[in-house]
Amino acid sequence: MIQLRNIQKSFGNQPVLKGIDLTVKKGEVVSILGPSGSGKTTLLRCINFLERPTEGEVMIDDITVSSQKGSKKEILTLRKKTAMVFQQYNLFRHKTVIENVMEGLIVVQKNSKETARKLAMEVLEKVGLTEKANAYPVQLSGGQQQRVGIARALALNPEVILLDEPTSALDPELVGEVLEVIKRIAEEGITMIIVTHEVSFAKDVSDYIVFMDQGEIVEEGTPTVIFNNPKEERTKRFFKRINREAGILESNLSSVI
Amino acid sequence: MQIDIPFIFMALIEIFKALPLTIIITLVPLIIGFLIGIGITIIRIRKVKGLYSLANFYVSFLRGTPALMHIMLIYLGFPLLIDKLAVTFRWTFQSTSIPILLFVLMALSLTAGAYMSEIIRAGILAVDQGQLEAAESIGMTNFQAMRRIVFPQAIAISLPNLCNIFIGFLHTSSIAFIVSQKELTGATNIVASNNLKFLEAYIAAALIYWGLTIISEKVTALLEKRVTVYNRGGVI
Amino acid sequence: MDITLIFDFFPKLISYLHITLLILVAAVAIGLVIGVVIALIRIYKVPVLNRLAFIYISFMRGTPILIQLFLIYFGLPALLTLVHIDASRANPLLFVAITYGLSCGASFAEIIRGAINGVEKGQAEAAYSIGMNEKQMMVRVILPQALVIAFPNFANSVIGSLKDTSLAFTIGVMDMVGRGNTLIATSLHALEIYLTLSMIYYGVVICLEKGFSLSEKKLQRFEGSLSAEK
Ligand SMILES: Nc1ncnc2c1ncn2[C@@H]1O[C@H](COP(=O)(O)OP(=O)(O)OP(=O)(O)O)[C@@H](O)[C@H]1O
Ligand SMILES: [Mg+2]
Repeated sequence: MIQLRNIQKSFGNQPVLKGIDLTVKKGEVVSILGPSGSGKTTLLRCINFLERPTEGEVMIDDITVSSQKGSKKEILTLRKKTAMVFQQYNLFRHKTVIENVMEGLIVVQKNSKETARKLAMEVLEKVGLTEKANAYPVQLSGGQQQRVGIARALALNPEVILLDEPTSALDPELVGEVLEVIKRIAEEGITMIIVTHEVSFAKDVSDYIVFMDQGEIVEEGTPTVIFNNPKEERTKRFFKRINREAGILESNLSSVI
Repeated sequence: MQIDIPFIFMALIEIFKALPLTIIITLVPLIIGFLIGIGITIIRIRKVKGLYSLANFYVSFLRGTPALMHIMLIYLGFPLLIDKLAVTFRWTFQSTSIPILLFVLMALSLTAGAYMSEIIRAGILAVDQGQLEAAESIGMTNFQAMRRIVFPQAIAISLPNLCNIFIGFLHTSSIAFIVSQKELTGATNIVASNNLKFLEAYIAAALIYWGLTIISEKVTALLEKRVTVYNRGGVI
Repeated sequence: MDITLIFDFFPKLISYLHITLLILVAAVAIGLVIGVVIALIRIYKVPVLNRLAFIYISFMRGTPILIQLFLIYFGLPALLTLVHIDASRANPLLFVAITYGLSCGASFAEIIRGAINGVEKGQAEAAYSIGMNEKQMMVRVILPQALVIAFPNFANSVIGSLKDTSLAFTIGVMDMVGRGNTLIATSLHALEIYLTLSMIYYGVVICLEKGFSLSEKKLQRFEGSLSAEK
């Protein structure tokens, strides 16, 4: 179980997160939606302390790391229990696909090279990239790179995978393959927190939806409740705008076709 | 004007025998300087208290003064220091028993350290911040992330600069002749004055340095291809 | 060692700074002329000359300044005897200025060429697209942008040359270092003298760096205001 308690974060004196409380149960997939600049990325980065919160604490299983007192060692333990998938993939450029996946297995989890290679191959199988195992990241398409990013996270068998807009840097025709992979691992019961703008994907894959605006959680609940029956004005407006944009996109497409 | 072409060939052979010393005076400082450079870079990036301004001054001063000064300061100053220490600690050791070469190597190592630290720092800063974050997100310590992910990429990025500094130090090593080292330039000087054929001797020396430089450039081009294999066809 | 001696030596040595700076200014001036010519030859790939320019640059990049200095010092008078000029008594400053000028010329040529090639291709195309001819395109569009690109490298190169001037004494030039060496012979305080020399060099380098970085900011502001106008 993952629990965030009163997470606050300011950059300078600009508050970006204003006290976030969130509980994610084991095996749950939680999607965070919200307008640009609402603090979604920051929240995700606070969970593994890539960004140290100004206030509050993060609890995963038996360990609790608090914003101020969290020591280097505690943060490291926290990071060993989490993994992250980045918007810009951030694959290690100087390592091949399989080396990217093996890196954490060897350096962090102290597996032998052979074990790591075996485990990595299994994970690559899951994301459908075994034949690219010896390619370098630059030789892959964006979609393939992101699937390696997911494999790198998955290989570590973390308590939770944090995904920050995993498909928003991708060309539209490559989004599908990545969402497909995420969906598949969601069905395996891996806990995930996903920041995404893909509303229909979120509806499809999530057990729980969190809607954020201006550094706060405005509304949260099951997808059925949030999408069909939002209570808050801000949530309604957000979905209305999203739908309108989607509509425009579709009409544009149809006019092109 | 008369140029004794056969003498140039003779001089080439004679001078070339001094190559090992030139290589030593080039490579040893670069290797030690590389280590110093890493240390300085860590201090500067981590902003280590107390050492930070000292490191900045070291880099600025050594880059701001001619290498000749470094050699002379160490060559003249270090023996004084040693002798003073010898007196205080009652060593029987005398500074005159230290070969001059050692002072040259020390001085140029300090010089190289300053230039290296700039190269390494630039390389590290050129590595995408996301690489470090990705490494830390999978639970690596900052040190592991730097050593395994950031540093190798920084070195690959720095390769052209490292080649330049190698060529630079190959040429700088010629200054050592001023403190009577018999490396390429020192040997040239001897060949020239023994035979009173200065122009020919220096033409020979120029040819040797020129050849060495061209070889270094070719080797770097090869290395660059290998090391940055992961960049092939990709944008940086 | 006697630190207070530095105060004695400082005025004696700095009174020779102008020689050092003279060498630098002469070298940069000669270097700029050579650099521009060579860069043009290489950019326009003038037949034969392009090849020669390439060899010249490769040679200057491939040999230590010290060796170049000796080559000119011994070689130039020998060459001049062919046209019956006796240069054996010429002021060594002349040889130094020529050597450092040739050396600067080679680096400046590469810096200029790199900067011109470094200007985005689209800029030239845009200039042609609004009907400029090649010269207008070069002068009005490419060169101003190339200048900004070239400037930091140019500054580095000049500072490098200043440090190189410390070797001029090897052919008997009476600059700061040359003067320092005569002082050593009479005073036997070599360490203090080299300390003083280092301080002077460091001071000059710091001043040059400050000056260059100010000019660079000016240049870039000029760039900024240009783009703001557009
Ligand atoms: N390192 C930083 N320094 C200063 N301000 C920051 C920093 N990172 C984020 N911010 C600010 O915090 C706010 C929230 O940013 P964040 O990236 O978390 O938003 P987001 O919800 O992820 O937006 P998007 O959907 O565009 O990715 C923004 O106003 C942003 O400008
Ligand atoms: Mg974001």
